[in-house]
Amino acid sequence: MSESARPRVPIKPGYFTVPEDPNQAPTFLCTRCEDCGEHFFPRRAICAKCLSERTTEVECAGRGTLYSYTFVHIPLFGSTNIEHVEGYGVGQVDLPEGPRLQVPLAGKQGDFRIGQSLRAELDKLRDDDAGREVVIVRFRPVEAGR
Amino acid sequence: MRDVAVLGVGMYPFGTYYDGSNAEMARVAGMAALKDAGLSFADVQSAYVGHIFAQVMSGTRVMKEFGLTGIPVQRIENASATGSACFREACMAVAGGHADVVMVLGFDKMTTMIQNSAASTSPENMEDAILPAAFFALWATRRMHERGMKPEHLARIGAKNFNNGALNPMSQRQPKEPVTWEKVLGSRMVAWPLTTMMSCPIGDGAACAIVGRADLAKKLRPDRPVVRVTASTLSSEKYVPGHLFMGPVVGPAQMTRDAAKVVYEQAGVGPEDLDLVQVHDAFAIEELEYYELLGLCKEGEAEKCIEQGDFELGGRVAVSTDGGLIARGHPGGPTGLAQIWETTLQLRGEAGKRQLDDPRVGLCHMMGGGSVCVIHILQRD
Repeated sequence: MSESARPRVPIKPGYFTVPEDPNQAPTFLCTRCEDCGEHFFPRRAICAKCLSERTTEVECAGRGTLYSYTFVHIPLFGSTNIEHVEGYGVGQVDLPEGPRLQVPLAGKQGDFRIGQSLRAELDKLRDDDAGREVVIVRFRPVEAGR
Repeated sequence: MRDVAVLGVGMYPFGTYYDGSNAEMARVAGMAALKDAGLSFADVQSAYVGHIFAQVMSGTRVMKEFGLTGIPVQRIENASATGSACFREACMAVAGGHADVVMVLGFDKMTTMIQNSAASTSPENMEDAILPAAFFALWATRRMHERGMKPEHLARIGAKNFNNGALNPMSQRQPKEPVTWEKVLGSRMVAWPLTTMMSCPIGDGAACAIVGRADLAKKLRPDRPVVRVTASTLSSEKYVPGHLFMGPVVGPAQMTRDAAKVVYEQAGVGPEDLDLVQVHDAFAIEELEYYELLGLCKEGEAEKCIEQGDFELGGRVAVSTDGGLIARGHPGGPTGLAQIWETTLQLRGEAGKRQLDDPRVGLCHMMGGGSVCVIHILQRD
């Protein structure tokens, strides 16, 4: 949760929303195929399953189920001079609509287990030159710890 | 289709050569392969050259090391499977009657790539938050959940490959004394449960294969058995539910199962006929999964087979006989050709201290990020 009211921008546009209200979970920018109903993240023009071009842009809520996880003992983005030097969780998260996302996880090693419910949140990576907070998206277990 | 054979193989030892050059490594590997085939560069009618990291034009420029004869030179890049994809194109060229003798050359300096790009990861690229080690660690966690695998099983694969590497003069990792699974398990954690010794190193190197008409193999080197390429396939991803589009290194595990089915049909052999197998063991969990996906053991039995030593040198079917990516190394472009080098030597009975007892059929499997799966089967007459 952000403690400041400074404007926030996504690390890269086109993948997730950044709600004005810091207590609100981000949503994921997805595509639904109008012919076969399959959902995809990130967005795409042509259905990967049935090859239909009749696709619609949709938003999927930032909640899901943990399919698998790990804890990486190397700083985020392989760097040594930014945050998260203590390591970070990574998971594959299934959204209810179907897409599986591979994303960083919030929490400590030992907080995660396959099948648990997670909620997306935004995490400040750094400030940009305009004084805005650059945020990444990650998932946190709904009931933290075991 | 015409019969295709491996006429010659050569390597430059994989290692870290901060001051070395791609041109020199490639020339040494290429000349070794030509000599092994009993040919000179004047006999080469076409060349496929593979590198991932070197600059644009590197392939064509490096080929000039052998002399300027005007032959077609084509660079191919398919991530980790670059060398394997080049090898496949050479086999297609010979099988299709477009050339009788083709050079396949792979080289890379991954050390330079890492230096130049500060690990090439950037916060501006969302996918870069997740390392390849993390991706395959996700396979491992899932396997522990579904099949009761323990990190010890991965450590046993790591130890096997290190110990095989010790018997291979071309191997990057050369342990001085036998490596125990306890040592592998206790090495530094990268992405739980994968440790450094369950993961391939960063390195440099070159490898070359000369591919040609099978009847030429007999003529050029009547003193030794002909090693034929009896199957070749390359596949990209096929959509599955839960397909990952952002961040994965390779596609669904099913790719390997599907590709294996194709090569077994082409070659008219089954997994039970294989004497040795090389796989894309960038991380130990991959090798474990490929045992089952290639049909080397039944689904759910990989752990039991590891405990029995089925995949050790002298086991039921030896896997990663040269040390695999974990020990022999994985510079990029040449990796798939190192597998061909090893399999060819084994089938000829020229693999030195790690020689298997009279092997006849070998399989080489590579995954390339993006992703593709490439499999070849080599057989001795």
